[in-house]
Amino acid sequence: MSGSETENRIPSRKAGTRSGMSIDKVQKTLKDLRVKTPEEIGELFAEVSALLDRERQTLIERGAADEDERARKVKELRDRWLARKGGVVSLIDENWLKQAQKELKPAVGRAFNDLRRHAVAVDAERLLEDVPVRRGAWARAAEGTAHAGEARLPVAARHLDVTLPGHRRPLGSIHPVTQVMREIEDIFLGLGFSIESGPEIESVYYNFDALNIPESHPARDDWDTLYVNSETVLRTHTSPVQIRAMEKHGAPLYILCPGKAYRHDNPDSTHATMFHQVEGLAVDKDISFADLKGTLDYFAKKFFGDTIKTNLSPSFFPFTEPSGELAINCVFCGGEGCRVCKESGWVEVMGCGMVHPEVLRHGGIDPERYSGWAFGLGVERFAMMKYDINDIQLFHQGDVRFLEQF
Amino acid sequence: MKVSLNWLKEFVELPVDARRLKADLVSIGLNAESFQAAGEDVVFEVEVTSNRPDCLSHYGIAREVSALYRKRLAPLEFTCKGISALASGEAAIEILNPELCARYCGRVVRGVEVKPSPEWLVRRLEAVGQRPINNVADITNYVLMELGHPLHAFDLMRLEEHKVVVRSARPGEQLRTLDGVNRTLAASDLVIADSRRPIALAGVMGGEDSEISDRTHTVLLESAWFDPATVRRTSKAHGLHTEASHRFERGADIEMAPIALDRAAILIAQLGNGEILRGAIDVYPVPRRRTHIDLRRKEIHRILGEEVLWEEVERILRALGFKVERRGTEGWRVTPPMARLDVDREVDLIEEVARHYGYNRLPARVRPAPPRLATDEAREKELRISDTLVALGYREIIPPAMVDPDENARFTDCPPVVLENPLSQDASAMRSSAVPSMIHTVKWNLDRYRNDLRLFEMGKVYSAKQKGLPDERRVLVLGATGNREPGTVHRKKMEISIFDLKGDVEQVLSDFDLPGVSFEPFSIGYLEERVAGRFIGAGGALATLGRLNEGLARGYKLRQAVWVAEVDLDALLRARLNQKSFKPISKYPAIERDFSLVVLCDTAYGKLEEAIRGLRIEDLESIKPIERRSSDELPDGTIPAGHASLLLRITFQSPTRTLAGDEVELQSRRIVDALKSLGVQIRAQG
Repeated sequence: MSGSETENRIPSRKAGTRSGMSIDKVQKTLKDLRVKTPEEIGELFAEVSALLDRERQTLIERGAADEDERARKVKELRDRWLARKGGVVSLIDENWLKQAQKELKPAVGRAFNDLRRHAVAVDAERLLEDVPVRRGAWARAAEGTAHAGEARLPVAARHLDVTLPGHRRPLGSIHPVTQVMREIEDIFLGLGFSIESGPEIESVYYNFDALNIPESHPARDDWDTLYVNSETVLRTHTSPVQIRAMEKHGAPLYILCPGKAYRHDNPDSTHATMFHQVEGLAVDKDISFADLKGTLDYFAKKFFGDTIKTNLSPSFFPFTEPSGELAINCVFCGGEGCRVCKESGWVEVMGCGMVHPEVLRHGGIDPERYSGWAFGLGVERFAMMKYDINDIQLFHQGDVRFLEQF
Repeated sequence: MKVSLNWLKEFVELPVDARRLKADLVSIGLNAESFQAAGEDVVFEVEVTSNRPDCLSHYGIAREVSALYRKRLAPLEFTCKGISALASGEAAIEILNPELCARYCGRVVRGVEVKPSPEWLVRRLEAVGQRPINNVADITNYVLMELGHPLHAFDLMRLEEHKVVVRSARPGEQLRTLDGVNRTLAASDLVIADSRRPIALAGVMGGEDSEISDRTHTVLLESAWFDPATVRRTSKAHGLHTEASHRFERGADIEMAPIALDRAAILIAQLGNGEILRGAIDVYPVPRRRTHIDLRRKEIHRILGEEVLWEEVERILRALGFKVERRGTEGWRVTPPMARLDVDREVDLIEEVARHYGYNRLPARVRPAPPRLATDEAREKELRISDTLVALGYREIIPPAMVDPDENARFTDCPPVVLENPLSQDASAMRSSAVPSMIHTVKWNLDRYRNDLRLFEMGKVYSAKQKGLPDERRVLVLGATGNREPGTVHRKKMEISIFDLKGDVEQVLSDFDLPGVSFEPFSIGYLEERVAGRFIGAGGALATLGRLNEGLARGYKLRQAVWVAEVDLDALLRARLNQKSFKPISKYPAIERDFSLVVLCDTAYGKLEEAIRGLRIEDLESIKPIERRSSDELPDGTIPAGHASLLLRITFQSPTRTLAGDEVELQSRRIVDALKSLGVQIRAQG
């Protein structure tokens, strides 16, 4: 391999920096450079002009791999010479011309004007036409230079069709379940709640017993459970986090527990084996049913819109007493009654209630001193209502035709 | 449960129409889902929660309705006119396990004609979804639907020694139940037996041997009270859920037993032309009583946030069958009825008051939490990571965490958490690797001709432990395939390479304060060797990434290369987010120097960069590899085989002054020397 031959082929943007002229000179004044006579001024400017020519020529010889690279290289060269701030020409103006001694000024001025006219040669528009696009320096090495120049393409700004669609770069997206979950979190974070989490594979004690759902009671059957063994289950709801948080922090406690839950349900359009819940819990002195009602109404209005109406009706959960089911007026029929709301005008959105004294006790909190409210909601269900999604399976298939809509 | 409006009207006046009734039932917690006309009747479908067995009957719902509309509830008065012969002379009843069977009442009806029920009875049963069988069986069902108490009718002549014994089953005893199934009993099953063999599973289902048939003429009616937990255990063990077990396991009304018995006996005598023998046999060893509960006015206010009037509290509770005594200015002493085993605390009484006072009448207020200074750091970090990934074009997925354990094992040695009762084999364990979920999602999309994908999941992996709950670790998984940008009329497509994925992981890591992160070639089973690597931090591997190996890709029938990265999310969440602080932008020019090198293919770029950085050049701004070509990609003889040409661009810039040319030259020489000491040839420099 012959060194000199290959050396020339190594693409280097700053060919000029290897020449005799050191561009650093333009940072200095003529005085510092010890240039005193018009002859020396002439030489110096000639040196600059030659450098400009060499850089321009090198760029044309080398060409560019594609239009993008060409545009970039041309701009770089142009900026280097003509940029209003820090360009070589403007530096010469600043450091040589403006700082020149009075007697040298006319000579420097003339030379500078010549240089400036000359520097138009690196004008971007013109240079773009002169720099060829090639398939790359190495390809050229293989082919020789015989066909150089063939790839020259004029810039056809005149023929640009700006009505072509824009070039859109693909964006990512957040899963709708996460979006809804964050929206719910934000509402309660705004009320000063904090976020708690717990294990998804949970002990029977936390998932059931501590929540006042004994094995011997048929209420246990309300949760179709996936078992790991007789003492361990996939949590059927996020409610066990209530107990864990009470044990950990005591009262007062204002928390939100978002997370995954699992049920032994055969998948269909409304059932998923894995789904997401958000559990809310407030324990403090003098918390009453009024706080539950007011806070959930506030939440529903924030989430579904402030024209929504809520209705709380009695229900049963072993871990709350009194228990309730919160409904919002049906958005499909406006409360007139339709298939979605089963003619009632209302759609149930979540279960809630005052924390059962036994549950507080299991969490180590004295139910005579403290009281609390809690709710649990299904995130997929909220997302289905919000975005009018008709099949819960869509959430977990990861089909981008679904994901890209959110 | 299905509720007939006409039936209800036999016990209480209904001042409203069906539509209004439905809404009102919901307002007191009886979830009336729908109603429809059935001839002259209207039938409601009411979902009764598992704490309210008392509402699993028309009479029970009538009681709620009477409290709701302040109408009188018809009393239950049934008088059996028995003939002279004593029932106790014909049949004997013995309870061997009084703790499991607290009461057993029986009546004998003789000379019964077993035949189809009259039309009015058939219509009622059918309206509430019961299939008519014969008059005797239908009457027991009718009384069940009316009063909520399960009854059973035996053919007394088929009972050995005309005797009924309530006892635990002997292990291995056989019983053929009415559904025609031969069942082997266990000691935990409570049975009704005659002197020889079991004739019924107590509170669950009768046996075929003693079933009422065309030849039956003497009927022994059973109305008993069984322990809820025992009935539930037997019902579960035998997979037999019946109308009877449904009520007993929720708690039947022990005081309703003799009333329901009389009601049924009278109907059988009427509709079957039989004679009731005198006297009910009522074995009730320890009569049960409800203990009273103190209800404090202050507590009602504390829990409901409302002062409910004294009279209102009393009216509601009395209408629901509670005994209420005022106690001074404090509150009340309340005794719940036997039918309401769900009420055994003060707060249960408060719920009763709230239900009938009306949740809608109770006040409402929004109460925020006390102000808090702490911020949720974990959440902040997660948001940062997902923001970065979304900006990089990744879409979030949430695939199921349940996998096929065999498939899981191809991606990790870590044992998954196997489920005891999975829905299917391909979802029978909680994954210990999140990679298969990602591949499935990629494949799902490739199979639907979505070829350019960048996906991420922030989820968990689970692994079994010897003791205690399984480990749950958080992971971030990236999956990418196809083009980074699809080709358009404007631009050529850009295929995803390992460096896209690596760059994306670098972007994620760069938000965190992770000192001393390095990258090394590394491969694990599921990645293609040489096209994989990992980031290592102070605490070990942070992320592993690369191309899915070809064998697996073929196995999954993937049409194109798939890139996967697994990031240890827990490690990121443990690290701090980089604190943002402004670094002044240099006013002085940057100077670039290009170095054209020839290196051995095996010389890692990382080593070169490390060597240069090791010189600790103060004004070194950046080191960038600009072009790399291995000898295979170049014309023969350009560089020696097994070598690569590498063009490095190094930028110098000082924040405080313009660098002089000779300073840069000096540093360039040091760089050249450092590179040469690694065996690198310098071909050109400038």
